[in-house]
Amino acid sequence: MTNDMAVLDVAGISKRFGDLQVLSDISFTVTRGETVCVLGPSGSGKSTLLRCINWLERPDAGQIYLNGDRIGINNGGVVMSDRELSRVRTRIGMVFQHFALWPHLTVLQNLMEAPVQVQRRPAAEVREEAMALLAKVGLSDKADVFPARLSGGQKQRVGIARALAMKPDVLLFDEPTSALDPELVGEVLLVMRELAREGRTMVIVTHEMGFARDAATRILFMDRGRVVETGPPERFFVSPDTERARQFIQRYAAG
Amino acid sequence: MSAADVLAILQGAVVTVTLSLIGILIGLPIGLGLALLRWANVPVIARVVAVYVSVLRATPLVTLLLLLFFALPNVGIAIGPVSAAILALVMNTSAFNCEVWRAALMNFPKEQYEAAQSVGMHASLRFRRIVLPQIVRVSLPGLVNEMSLLIKVTPVLAVVGVVDITRAAVRIGAETYEPLPPFLVAIAMYAPIVFALVSLQRFIERRQLAAEAA
Amino acid sequence: MIRDFAIVWSERDLLLSGLGNTTILSVLSAIAGLVIAFVLTPALMSKRRWLALTVRVFVDGMRCVPFLLFAYIVYYGLPSFGIRLDNWSSGLVALTVYHAAYLAEILRGAWVAQPREPIEAGVAFGFSGPRLFRRIILPPLLLAAGPVIGNQMIQIVKDSAFLTIIALPELTHAASSIQSRHYVPFAAFITAVFLYWGLCLVIEAGVSGIDRLASARR
Ligand SMILES: Nc1ncnc2c1ncn2[C@@H]1O[C@H](COP(=O)(O)OP(=O)(O)OP(=O)(O)O)[C@@H](O)[C@H]1O
Ligand SMILES: [Mg+2]
Repeated sequence: MTNDMAVLDVAGISKRFGDLQVLSDISFTVTRGETVCVLGPSGSGKSTLLRCINWLERPDAGQIYLNGDRIGINNGGVVMSDRELSRVRTRIGMVFQHFALWPHLTVLQNLMEAPVQVQRRPAAEVREEAMALLAKVGLSDKADVFPARLSGGQKQRVGIARALAMKPDVLLFDEPTSALDPELVGEVLLVMRELAREGRTMVIVTHEMGFARDAATRILFMDRGRVVETGPPERFFVSPDTERARQFIQRYAAG
Repeated sequence: MSAADVLAILQGAVVTVTLSLIGILIGLPIGLGLALLRWANVPVIARVVAVYVSVLRATPLVTLLLLLFFALPNVGIAIGPVSAAILALVMNTSAFNCEVWRAALMNFPKEQYEAAQSVGMHASLRFRRIVLPQIVRVSLPGLVNEMSLLIKVTPVLAVVGVVDITRAAVRIGAETYEPLPPFLVAIAMYAPIVFALVSLQRFIERRQLAAEAA
Repeated sequence: MIRDFAIVWSERDLLLSGLGNTTILSVLSAIAGLVIAFVLTPALMSKRRWLALTVRVFVDGMRCVPFLLFAYIVYYGLPSFGIRLDNWSSGLVALTVYHAAYLAEILRGAWVAQPREPIEAGVAFGFSGPRLFRRIILPPLLLAAGPVIGNQMIQIVKDSAFLTIIALPELTHAASSIQSRHYVPFAAFITAVFLYWGLCLVIEAGVSGIDRLASARR
């Protein structure tokens, strides 16, 4: 059921909060090197979907596989313990809308924290990689600064570097630029474009249509908890199959 | 432990509550007065008040009480246990209240004060009609909190011989050779009083939050 | 009056050992109380309702009981259950347990006020259980709650004076001894008051140090 190239395989995920059905039977796969952009109106369940993938939110139904390994349910068929979940989660990088950097740690320490404390990798080796990642996002000079001293754009670049430091199989982004001042969006998107070019496997929830159009390999359009349409950006943006998608594109193209 | 013993502790409770109330009632306005002296930045006096508050906030009530009880007669001021107790409570709580009042004063919007000035209100009227009602509101939770703290240190009054809850309990414990029951009764008298104050504080905070949200 | 202070000066060893004992007592119970609070606070925040409720009853209970009565219970009451502690141990146990409850509540308050996302990021990056608390949740709590914890430390110092009643030779007890030996009440107790003040100023200096650390991270 999982094809060889599938890094992430989401099969029939559903989730409800009380009376509200937030996700209904969501299925899709992400193959190695893909950049999948998830679009959709506010409240359509995009964040919830990402949070279900790494079980920050426990899905009510469906399965999620990461490189063939079931997430959330162990081999015995029971829900994973916190420790087991933690181990799987280190293979999924996450970038948050409000950065979610750890305020008590310097930039470098933010990058090193999970690899050293959770993955138990040698600190010296992690430090070297972390410095390289900081160079890559253009923040070498900020290594020993606390997050509070950074601009929003710099914070989010640290957030991305922090996710990369765990060497995850897949990166999840939840609206990584929507908390930024307009003039700071570009520097973050630049880094993300670079990652896409390198062929990182990514799932990106975004409202940046320009970015989705030229960086995504595939668009996933959600509405009211369902995947309404999926396809390559050229087709999605030019001739969408559904009326909903057409309206959505029009609204955002105008705005 | 007999019913008479419980009654004795209850009588002690009346003493405790009375002394606390007196301490609070006198301490509140004094605290406000001290806060005003600091707020108005009266030269020298403001500094003196600041040091007074700082020292008293650091002084355990037992130590203060022993100081007053033993040292005042020494300098020719006759003082009984009850007066020493009240004086100690007032000194203690006024220092803490001063900080609460002062915080409210510091945060009082200057423009409002100037607006009152601009409509020709004179200083005392301005204070009574504009400033006071608002800082009372802001200070209320903090002041109630201070009251519960004050109640919680009153057992120490027993040290100089005030027959309060604690002294009654200690005496009964010594007479019956069973110290635990009278202490539990004593706690059973304190807990509801403190609990009521803590609940009152939470209630006020919640109501004020709700009022702000509305 | 000068003579009185000269007498107190001649008894400085007694006073200093009292100050030393007050300091030791306060520092030990502050540390032990914090460590216990590190366990109580996650329990207060636990999703297991029975656990949260049990700890909540303990914490609120302690907050409704005067410290002196609690110390009495530990010293005079526990022997009824066959647990007999000397005055040092009962003093330490009473101070520690009592203030652990207050510290736990302080940390819980700071926790609730923390932004949720960084903690969630901790979970997403594979932290869980005690490690999540220790590495991700706790450090910002300590920084944010620094001043309030400092106030509680001052409260601990002050409550330790109550222990004079169970004849623990702390600072107030030392002052009492000097006063009863030489009848110099003013000099003896005012000296003690200023020593307490000094201790609190030290604590406040420590707090403002922590605050400087915190403001770089805010
Ligand atoms: N923990 C929760 N409890 C209850 N309802 C929730 C919870 N989390 C999300 N929801 C609801 O689920 C729906 C989907 O939320 P979600 O955050 O996934 O939407 P979204 O597509 O990310 O929207 P946006 O673009 O505004 O971020 C919303 O109606 C939201 O109110
Ligand atoms: Mg969202």
